[in-house]
Amino acid sequence: MLKVDSIVAGYGRTRILHGVSLEVPKGGLVALLGGNGTGKSTTLKAIVGLVAVQEGQVVLDGKVINDVPAEQRASLGLSLVPQGKEVFAGMSVEENLLMGAYHRRRDRQGIASDLEGVYQRFPRLKERRKVNAGMLSGGERQMLSIGRSLMARPSVLLLDEPSAALAPRIVEEIAEAILGLRDLGLTLLLVEQNVGMALDIADHIYVIRGGRIAYEREVGDGIAMEELQEFYLGGQEH
Amino acid sequence: MDLFLQYMANGVVIGSTYVLVAVGLTLIFGILGVVNFAHGEFYMIGGYAGIVAITVLKLPVLPAIAFVLLVAAVVGIAAEAILHKPMKNHDATSSIISSFGLAVALQNAALVVMGPQPQRLNLDVSKIPVLSSLPTDFGPVFLPQQRLLIPIATVLLIAILYVVLRYTWTGRGLRAMAQHATVARLCGVRVERVAIVTFITGAALAGTAGMLMSSVFFVYPIVGNMIALKAFTVVILGGMGNVAGAAVAGLLLGITESLTSAYISNAMRDVVGFVFVILVLLFRPQGLFGKAVERS
Repeated sequence: MLKVDSIVAGYGRTRILHGVSLEVPKGGLVALLGGNGTGKSTTLKAIVGLVAVQEGQVVLDGKVINDVPAEQRASLGLSLVPQGKEVFAGMSVEENLLMGAYHRRRDRQGIASDLEGVYQRFPRLKERRKVNAGMLSGGERQMLSIGRSLMARPSVLLLDEPSAALAPRIVEEIAEAILGLRDLGLTLLLVEQNVGMALDIADHIYVIRGGRIAYEREVGDGIAMEELQEFYLGGQEH
Repeated sequence: MDLFLQYMANGVVIGSTYVLVAVGLTLIFGILGVVNFAHGEFYMIGGYAGIVAITVLKLPVLPAIAFVLLVAAVVGIAAEAILHKPMKNHDATSSIISSFGLAVALQNAALVVMGPQPQRLNLDVSKIPVLSSLPTDFGPVFLPQQRLLIPIATVLLIAILYVVLRYTWTGRGLRAMAQHATVARLCGVRVERVAIVTFITGAALAGTAGMLMSSVFFVYPIVGNMIALKAFTVVILGGMGNVAGAAVAGLLLGITESLTSAYISNAMRDVVGFVFVILVLLFRPQGLFGKAVERS
């Protein structure tokens, strides 16, 4: 479904990714784990086109999309839920959700029914639909951010650290929401620092270190936590 | 007391012009981060376009307005191509310098084409259907139709702008771009289109102001200098990027100037706004109506 094939990317002359490869099968929930500054977010930005890919390929549904501008990737079915619960703070919750459907704005009926769908999934958002997004709590913003992406009718959803800076109880709520997205049939790539959460919900994990994939494993065939920690926390490279 | 109301009315008329010019300026800054020092020239070109349309081309009023808007659109597109497109990835300083350059170029072009002598639009209101039937006396206040037209047009245009910004996809895209450009792009908003729409809107508002004012005040090649300074005053008072703030601050500045010139001294008229700006920058840099917001 989504394939990242040895991509090299960075900002200006600084290279962050030195050949990252990963694959997210249709309907899969894959987690990309790593510490700060390892290239997790840059990988997502390269996939959605916010960072130019210098070498390698981003492949969606068998098509190389390296040259598609970021603003056109939403209509290809690719949607990013950005880090830091970024919302349009001065616009209402409902307007934020509508913005998610911007690339298919002529589909009035579809948008109305999708809006209802998001409100059913996140009733809090319905209660607060007229409120400016800047007034929401961290957890609500994260839901709004996910809701906005759903309004794009994506086939692949990328989530950039959805658990960051949230209380444990809220993290559980978000984790459940993510599992709910999988049940919708979405293909999910989750970038996380929260290893526990990722292991709970993902079916495949990658660990990135220094801009390279250092470790990869199916979840469920008995991942040894120590083994993972060694890669994650920076034991010796293999 | 009678005269006080007249001064207020004069202030509203001139303030309406400030609103039209400043709203475009604040939109261009808020959405694109471009500090447009050539904005006064949009006003100047609008004034000349109005004069050409009515006195040279002998167009009736409505086609003349359409002509002014068309010229403004062309100017807006060209300005975007010069001030924004090649410099999107640079900071606001680049746009300050290049827009200064554009302003000087446009002033000199106007000097060559239209000549140095101040010109005025002689609008014969008695021949314009709706306008001629408007009253000119409002109790103690007298407003000839040419002047009355200015606040009416301002209210109309700002109302249209408000509806477009609030209830259309284009407007939502513009506001989203102003608030969070990256997320807006991810939603599918195309930066280049937004930039062109924004510049056309700014040029059209300022151009309309220039045309309306050309039947009240003279138009000359550097008329935009003072207008641009006034518009920047309004934008700073209202809060950078704040459209509603610019609308209120524009009227306030117009009224304050009018009252200052009436009761203190006419020489102080242009000074008072700048005194305000200095005070606001010292004590309330987010503007009178702005909230201090963190930028991401």
